[in-house]
Amino acid sequence: MTAAYDYEALGLVAGLEIHQQLDTATKLFCNCPTTLREPEEATHQFTRYLHPTRSELGELDDAAVEESKVEREFTYLAYDTTCLVEADDEPPHRLDEEALETVLEIAQLMDMTPVDQANVMRKIVVDGSNTSGFQRSTLVATGGAIETSDGPVSIEDMMLEEESAQRVEETDAGVTYSLDRLGIPLVEIGTGPDIRSPEQAQEAAERIGMLLRSTGKVKRGLGTIRQDVNVSIAEGARVEIKGVQSLDDIADIVRTEVGRQAELVEIQDELEARDGAVHEPRDVTGVFEGTDSGVIAGALNDGGSVFGVRLEGFDGLVGREIAPDRRLGTELSDHAKRHGAGGIFHTDELPAYGVTDDEVSSLREAVDASPDDAVAIVAADSAVASSAIEAVAERAKTALDGVPEETRGANQDGTTRYLRPLPGAARMYPETDVPPVEPDPSDVAVPELLTEKVDRYQADFDLDAGLAEQVAYGRRMPLFESAVEDGIDPTFAATTLESTLTELRRDDVPVENLTRGHLEQVFGMADGGDLAREGVPDLLSALAAEPDRDAATVAEEAGLGSAAEDDVREAVIEVVERNESQVEAEGMAAFSGLMGECMGALRGKADGDLVSQILREEIQKRA
Amino acid sequence: MTQTPAPGDRVRVERADRTYEGVLLPSSTERQLVIKLEGGYNVGIDREPATLEVLETDVYDVETAQAEDSASEVEFDDSLPTISLISTGGTIASTVDYRTGAVTAQFDAEDVLRAVPDLAGRANYRGRVVANILSENMEPSIWQDLARAVAEEIEAGADGVVVMHGTDTMQYSASALAFMLETPVPIVFTGSQRSADRPSSDNVMNAVSAVEAAKSDCAEVLVCMHATESDTTCALHCGTRVRKNHTSRRDAFETVGAQPLGTVDYDDEAVTFHGEYRERGAADLAVTDGLEEDVELLKFTPGMDPAFLDVVEGSAGLIIEGTGLGHVHTDLIPKIESLIHDGTTVVMTSQCLEGRVCDRVYDTGRDLLEAGVIEGEDMLPGTAKVKLMWALANADDTEEAIRTSLAGEIQERSVPWTAGR
Repeated sequence: MTAAYDYEALGLVAGLEIHQQLDTATKLFCNCPTTLREPEEATHQFTRYLHPTRSELGELDDAAVEESKVEREFTYLAYDTTCLVEADDEPPHRLDEEALETVLEIAQLMDMTPVDQANVMRKIVVDGSNTSGFQRSTLVATGGAIETSDGPVSIEDMMLEEESAQRVEETDAGVTYSLDRLGIPLVEIGTGPDIRSPEQAQEAAERIGMLLRSTGKVKRGLGTIRQDVNVSIAEGARVEIKGVQSLDDIADIVRTEVGRQAELVEIQDELEARDGAVHEPRDVTGVFEGTDSGVIAGALNDGGSVFGVRLEGFDGLVGREIAPDRRLGTELSDHAKRHGAGGIFHTDELPAYGVTDDEVSSLREAVDASPDDAVAIVAADSAVASSAIEAVAERAKTALDGVPEETRGANQDGTTRYLRPLPGAARMYPETDVPPVEPDPSDVAVPELLTEKVDRYQADFDLDAGLAEQVAYGRRMPLFESAVEDGIDPTFAATTLESTLTELRRDDVPVENLTRGHLEQVFGMADGGDLAREGVPDLLSALAAEPDRDAATVAEEAGLGSAAEDDVREAVIEVVERNESQVEAEGMAAFSGLMGECMGALRGKADGDLVSQILREEIQKRA
Repeated sequence: MTQTPAPGDRVRVERADRTYEGVLLPSSTERQLVIKLEGGYNVGIDREPATLEVLETDVYDVETAQAEDSASEVEFDDSLPTISLISTGGTIASTVDYRTGAVTAQFDAEDVLRAVPDLAGRANYRGRVVANILSENMEPSIWQDLARAVAEEIEAGADGVVVMHGTDTMQYSASALAFMLETPVPIVFTGSQRSADRPSSDNVMNAVSAVEAAKSDCAEVLVCMHATESDTTCALHCGTRVRKNHTSRRDAFETVGAQPLGTVDYDDEAVTFHGEYRERGAADLAVTDGLEEDVELLKFTPGMDPAFLDVVEGSAGLIIEGTGLGHVHTDLIPKIESLIHDGTTVVMTSQCLEGRVCDRVYDTGRDLLEAGVIEGEDMLPGTAKVKLMWALANADDTEEAIRTSLAGEIQERSVPWTAGR
């Protein structure tokens, strides 16, 4: 299983779905900001239930039906940055234009063709992550391609959709979601099934990530980009793996999934040779009366039952490892868990967990199992155990056919777990509250690629290759570009944004508190000669510690040389003289009008109290 | 193949260098084709310069796709009460119309049972469709049909009646039934603010709670809708005191001038009443369904053209929604006086909605009283309109009927902190 696989011989086919949050001013279907919040900041909360509905073609989606079998109450946290639209208590507004423009830019970067008319759809999702019970999603463009070193990878489609609510907490009673994330625009990019190796999958994901960041309009940081990977091998089946958090994990995930499918195919071959079969589950509670097994005794004491299923010909196969530390038994257990059970026990791992040899023998007897067979059991509340063992038997039956098509979730360790059946077209129906839009790509500029930026920064700004790449790929790239445009020295700006901030972070300065506004102010002060460049790190540390304060004030307090009183007086006198007749006519009444002009002349570099004091003095002199 | 493609056909469309394959949808226009692609997404494709090829015909029967084949088989259970479900249309029983793309009512009461499986096991149901309209299209004649249908259901043995109604004009229909019917059983109006085609619709909880209220001991006309944004509690409002006070929220319905009469807890399904009500069986069934339809409701605002009063000349009745304690521009008073002189009954209500009309405080009010205007007490303007229609057709003394509370529409004491009727 750890052996390297010949991916070509196995017929590996993989595709990617990349989900990236857009950094727009407002959400996709309302005018709330796209600001993330902490659960403690919630201003109120409410609870809801969801019920699956039919598509316009009259079908119910398998995935939605399975999800809704568990009746759950969802709690939603709302904020002063969320409105009735997120609460599903107001119809959606029109599709956000900034988001549409951004995806059209991305479409151009991937050589895609926009559709003539984009229809907003409702994609049924009843796990509570959308208050409405569906995710609004729009197909915007199709038919593009990106390059990788192993050849081009086609881009099949690009969707503009709303981000789901963030899961905060899960208890037996239900799940708590936070509404801050719900409705942030999300672009979904789906590649064709062209990827033939784990390395190519990773490279394609990196390339798409670079193209997305080139727009300068995507959110950065943990959770703002998510990758789903679709993997199949020739004898396997299409498996959609959701929620790969890091680009670096993609190759591993693909390798592990190929291994899992190859193992399942071998199990299938073995079962075929053994004439394997799955029998009807039976109530085997009697076997475990007075058992020493804590888990089983616990369930029985609560009035529960034990159900078992005879897996004919499965002996040794249920315990066979199919992915690191995961067995066929783990797959069966995943299905039992979906139906509310804690998991399963199976004869390949028994006797253990307090279950004795005698009990195993009686269990085999109770379901007529021979030594070549395996038996899986579930102990739980009677109704739960009965439905869980059915799910286990269903999954065991699919082992006879090889690899089941399904949606799986990525685990931290590179393995995956069963989530639900593959969703189908039946989960989609039109969002009639939002009129279709006709994308107009003619006005959309093609953004410069990050790779192109790296070259330009070196050529035009004399940055060395390393710094140029750091800045271009860094999350403060848009700030760098606007600062340079405002006349800030490129090397100084680049060094501050990359080296200085990195050094400060290493010194445990909370640089994440520094906003674009802070940095712009600091650049302005340094550029205007009000702040020595040597003072920049100290000022940034001070600002990071007190992010609510004004840079000029902090600089002055820290003795970092804000505009000196003489400079302020000089600027004020200039303003007063320019408005001499007004000052003579109105006296102190001219103050408020001139104050604004003075602050403007000083470009925020001086403390307002100081300007006010000097302005009063100068007016008094002349009145 | 060169046949003309029809909605429901699987087609291939080639346009520029792109090819789209999917099911042709009825929302296509002359300019654009709308196609459902394999993955479920709909896209619009300009007809020019696209070429279209039919791959397979009638993949879907789009006309009847929403309807299910099997009729619901509901077994009769002697131990359960019988509840009549009456449908008038509206969001609670609606689905998306894929020709217009709008949400319309297409379900009869049977469909409601199928759409809300949670109703099963609570009662034996009788289903009946009185209308299939959006509630903004409600007419007084349908109130009469509805009142007669409810009475027939009660005569046929219903232990309670649930009326599924669009939310826009639910308060008017509830008021109408409150005046037209003496009822020995609960009559509960319910609907949904968020359409039934969304998994989050409030239709399930509202319908379940309405059925529980219809099984209760309160033989009144009630409105049962969400009490809060959460799916936790429904409020039971007196039909003549309730008002839709929000365009879209689940908890749009509020009792004005009082607290709701009762609540239904969705968790344990307990129905609790917080004020006095007429008990089940206390009244004998009686229908008094005459209505004088020639009654208008006029909202006075600054700058109003006095010619609006000419429009109601000769009408049987006029409800004025005045300002404050019940006022209009002084210049309008002579015209109102002449209307009354010519036989129009004029009732003053307030656009404050909360509080009681009192035309004895300021000169304008005293002049209005002098002119013959009847103070509408603390009646909601919409309720007053329905009541005047009913009173003009049925009461011996219209003015006395207007001043007297007939169905909880007037409160003798202003105690808004207590549960109303």
